[in-house]
Formats: sequence, structure tokens, C-alpha cells
Amino acid sequence: MTTTTIPELLRESDPIRCEPAWPAADRLRVRQRVLAAPLVHSRPTRRIVLAAGTLGVLLVALFGWRVWPGGVVEAAVRFEVRLAEHAPAAGLTAAVATDSGRTVYLHSDVVVSNGDIASARLEPGDGDGQFGVDIALTATGAEQIRAASAGHVGRPMAVLIDGQVVAAPVVRSPIGEAAIITGAYSREQAERIVSGIVGE
Amino acid sequence: MTGQPLASALPASGDLLSPSERLGALFDAHHGRLYRLARRLSSSADQAQDLVQDTFLKAAGAVGSVPQGASREEAWLVRVLINLQRDRWRRDTVRRRALSVMHFNRGAENATQEAAVVAKRLVRQALERLPPRRRAVVVLHELEEMAPAEIAALLGIRAVTVRWHLSRGRQELAHVLKRLGGMP
Repeated sequence: MTTTTIPELLRESDPIRCEPAWPAADRLRVRQRVLAAPLVHSRPTRRIVLAAGTLGVLLVALFGWRVWPGGVVEAAVRFEVRLAEHAPAAGLTAAVATDSGRTVYLHSDVVVSNGDIASARLEPGDGDGQFGVDIALTATGAEQIRAASAGHVGRPMAVLIDGQVVAAPVVRSPIGEAAIITGAYSREQAERIVSGIVGE
Repeated sequence: MTGQPLASALPASGDLLSPSERLGALFDAHHGRLYRLARRLSSSADQAQDLVQDTFLKAAGAVGSVPQGASREEAWLVRVLINLQRDRWRRDTVRRRALSVMHFNRGAENATQEAAVVAKRLVRQALERLPPRRRAVVVLHELEEMAPAEIAALLGIRAVTVRWHLSRGRQELAHVLKRLGGMP
């Protein structure tokens, strides 16, 4: 075996390149089964309207209570990204990252918080029934995290949800993307974070 | 409607077809691409065939929801296929764990096999251990040569998420390969 990279190994073991094509007889049999199945010619337009209506009700239910008469929207879930260190030092606060169980030492300054989030959405996670939250930062938030991470390579950066460190990855290079994917939650937990994280 | 060339030429006027004709046209136009993807996401040709069949059965159950136009049809079908594969992956979790023990044992038995054959098997096993969405992203990028932006549009996720899955996928493949047999 002379190849060494993962893509090369994947290509060499690709069944489409190593095996005969899908036999025509099998393909025809599948085609016949498919065409023999009962057909449902639904009306997507109506379903979209119904889905939109349901979504609207859900949005009101989820966010309505957070809109105060004065028009101020508050985040129900507190989100922060802070610089951290591997070792204790004066002015740093110890915290255990829930994903790894490791202790990191947090700086008091917040790099980005709820107000820097442009949007958040549910993301299927790594395991069965696990979900993450894909957080997109505003341009300002992205610039803040890029600037902070540039001077912090090789040291951890902590993601906090409701004051708890959920992840503290080590910065390998300046973070240039305006998105953070975090967590391995149940659907219910992830939905709560998604619905509550955007705001002031 | 049995002629494949004719069916392939029809998607642009798909709204003129009866639901049954449309389903036949969808099958003729997209079965090849779907089988390739299904085979790369499945551990056997039989499973891939079942996956393609189930994908088109879903289409049969919602012909009116399949968007018009070849690329949009394909995207819809690919998303259904990947979701079906994910459902199977979840259902088979316990069985897969049992199989992984067997794979380790079999690996030891086959230690004398030709190195290249063993390496290919190890790579397939490592790929099968990836979570479905990550595996789909890795396959679409590495084997079907789609750009992250194209994958993002196809799966309805952001390009940054695709790149994250790719990065994690490569790390996990390297880790599993190392654990399985010291590769690469």
C-alpha cells in the first residue's frame, strides 16, 4: 500500500470503483416495485401554508413572553465566549468543561455574547439522539472573536451556556468563521438553547 | 414510458406528466446517481439497493412534493436518501456495536491477507463508523467531488458546517484507522 492520505484511501476503497455496476435486472425489479406503490399526489402549497401557520403559533409561544411592552427583547439563555488558560493565575476563575471534564481557567472579559449572535439553529449531532447548536455571529461578533483568538493560539477558548462551560477547545489558528457549533444535547435541550439564545 | 433517453429528456416538462409517469421519469433520471451515493453510504450492494428503493417509495408517497427541474429533483431525492440512511443507522446502532466486535476479531484472523485488501476493508469499516450526516458529507466531498458550498446547498446546511463535518470526519477516520490497524 503506497498511499497515505485519507482521501486517497477512501478513493481506493470506493465500492463504486471496485465493484460491478448495479445489475440491470435488479434495477428493473426495483423500478417495477416503485411504480407499483400507491401514489400520493399531495398539494404542497396547502401544506406549506399550514406549516407556516403552525410555525407562527410556535414562534409566538416561544418568543412572545420575552417581548416586553417597551420592545426590549431579552435572551432566555445566556451565551458567552471567553478566553481561558490551562493553568491557574491571578484573576482567573476555574471551571470544568462539561464536554471533556477538563478544568480551564476563565478570563473575566467576555469576547462575544448573546448580542453578537445573528442566528442560531438546531444541528444534528454526532450520536443517536444528540443535537448541537449552530450559532452564527454578527460581523462585529466574528471580528471580535477573530481578533481575540489571533493572540490566543495554543490556549483554550471557552463557550459558556448559562454560565456553564460546555466546551473549551484549544485555539489552533485564528477563528475566521462567524459560526460556532457546540454541544451534544438532547433535542429538547438544544431547542431550548436555539429558541432562547438570540437577544441582548 | 420505458425509454430511458426519453424519460431523461422530460423533467423540464414534468408538470405535464401523470404522477405515475413522473415517478418513472424520476427513477430513470436519478437512479444511477442515487445508487452510487447509496452504495457509498451502505455496507453492501443489497443495502444500497434497498435504500434506493425506499427513497423512490418515499417519492411515490409524495410525488406532488418533489420539486420540478432535474437539479432540484436530485437534491430532494438525495436529502430523502440521506435521511433514510440516518434512520437506519439509528435503528441499527445496537447491531453495529455487536458487529464492530466481530470486525476486530475478523481483522486478527485476516492478518495474513494482502495488505492492500486489508487496508481497503479497514477504510470501509472506518467510514461506516462515522455518524450518517458526517459520512454523507465526507462521501459527497471526497468521492463525489462536490465543493462544500454545493454540499451545503444540497443538505440545507451552511458551508461552515460542511467544512466542520469534513474536518471532524477526517480526524475520526484517522483515529479509527489507527485503532483498527495502524493506518495511515
